[in-house]
Amino acid sequence: MKDLKVDGLGMVYELPKGGSVQALQDVSFELEAGRLLTLLGPSGCGKTTLLNIIAGFLAPTSGSVALGGDPIMGPGQERGMVFQQGALFEWQTVAQNVAFGPRMNRRKRSETNDLVQDLLSTVGLQGFGDKAVYELSGGMQQRVALARCLANDPEVILMDEPLGALDALTREKMQGLILKLWQETGKTIILVTHSVEEALYLGDRLFVMAPRPGRIEREYELPFAEKGLHVDPREMKASPEFIERREELLSLIWEMEEQIMGHEGGMS
Amino acid sequence: MSVMDRLTGRKGADARKTVTFGDATEVRGAPVWSVVSLLFLGLVWWWIKRGPDPIVNDRTFPSMRQTWDAFFEMVDIGYRRVGLWEHTWASLWRVLKGLVYGVVVGVPVGFAMGLSNRLRGIFDPIVELLRPVPPLALLPLFIVWFGIGEGSKVNLLFFAAVWIMVIAARAGVLGVRGSKVHAAYSLGANKWQILRYVILPNALPDIFTGMRVALGVCWGTLVAAELTGTTTGLGAMIFAASKFFRMDIVVVSIIIIGVIGVSMDLIMRFLEKRLIPWRGKG
Repeated sequence: MKDLKVDGLGMVYELPKGGSVQALQDVSFELEAGRLLTLLGPSGCGKTTLLNIIAGFLAPTSGSVALGGDPIMGPGQERGMVFQQGALFEWQTVAQNVAFGPRMNRRKRSETNDLVQDLLSTVGLQGFGDKAVYELSGGMQQRVALARCLANDPEVILMDEPLGALDALTREKMQGLILKLWQETGKTIILVTHSVEEALYLGDRLFVMAPRPGRIEREYELPFAEKGLHVDPREMKASPEFIERREELLSLIWEMEEQIMGHEGGMS
Repeated sequence: MSVMDRLTGRKGADARKTVTFGDATEVRGAPVWSVVSLLFLGLVWWWIKRGPDPIVNDRTFPSMRQTWDAFFEMVDIGYRRVGLWEHTWASLWRVLKGLVYGVVVGVPVGFAMGLSNRLRGIFDPIVELLRPVPPLALLPLFIVWFGIGEGSKVNLLFFAAVWIMVIAARAGVLGVRGSKVHAAYSLGANKWQILRYVILPNALPDIFTGMRVALGVCWGTLVAAELTGTTTGLGAMIFAASKFFRMDIVVVSIIIIGVIGVSMDLIMRFLEKRLIPWRGKG
């Protein structure tokens, strides 16, 4: 298992009309293997940029990221990715999607078939292997995306608002699935979300990020994800300590949003 | 929705919708009215040719009867010592050859233009300058270059098809969602695998649309391609017949061209449903 080390990360986007945006400034943290980190913050705080840098899709303008001591220079299969939606291959069946990674690595088909069946039942999709992905609901498609990502047995799973497009009920179920997978696989997970509740419930570590410049504003160590494995999620989310944290975070983010609005109002 | 409602195109019948004007899901055509439309065309044809002194004389337009007879005469004995099927087959073969060459050359060029700035820069002026040129304008050059025979004809049809395929393939490549490419890289794919397993299948629907359009355009260019230097083909038949004012044969050829054009499009649509069921589902 490998720790993730982010050191002095900075990212500046040049705007086409001149000027630039500081999407990230001096972001540093260490994430021990097996943690579930959630990134929360208003739009423009750089949380997706941070995720894309760790995934290797973007090169930072300064600083570095390393996984187990190896610097990250580009995308790699030790860092799996789950997108919000639309990243499944619609020309392939569910099973073919899940088998994509092993197939790119030229693994034997017989081995892969067993692996795919295992993964499908892990995410609750046994018997759906031959279906086309577009025949599935949004929640089931995200289950396929999770299984596809797990097929390569990555060290870290990066999730960019994976449940953002789902309805509230499906979302709760999927949160449970993510916790279950986290516990069963022991993988390091970094999950970007807009939802305060989701960030609190899933994260055993939580960063609240702030914009202009994008940075980590506050860090939390949280008990809910660990407990969530054993306690009913509705009960947990209704508990006084959860609600207290939720209100605290909400007012923090409201404050940021208002500052942004004031800032933009001042500019116009 | 009853069968009759579907055939007559009555809107809102199944969902009991009250707002149907502007609702695209409610407009699917009405076969009954298509039949009425065809019958009306037939009626007009009959009306302009009725009686001993018709509105339109035989040198201008044949009667239905003459056309019908000409068709069977051509089926039986052919035209200018070449059977009707041979004429049709000659044309069909030229169109298919032109299309296949167009696909074989156009798709890789379109891919190159969608994948590389440098290649896009190199091909852009060529494609943009030649695309608007009507194929017929190149016929004199092609005859000099490729000879008066098959070469100039197939090349003309190739010219008609290739730009359409270039642009379709380029659009297909540029239409790939970034997250799909990212996902594939994160799953361990290399560049070649990205091309083969992500970009190509993602572009297939656009390539297929391009083939349908190109087939239509080739079929429309065919008559020009067969203007000179051949005695076979539906286009050649039209020119030969027109010199002798055999308008019945001209009209038969036109109808055959039209019917084959429609049939090929129906076949393409059928193949598309079978081969690319994921179209528009991404």
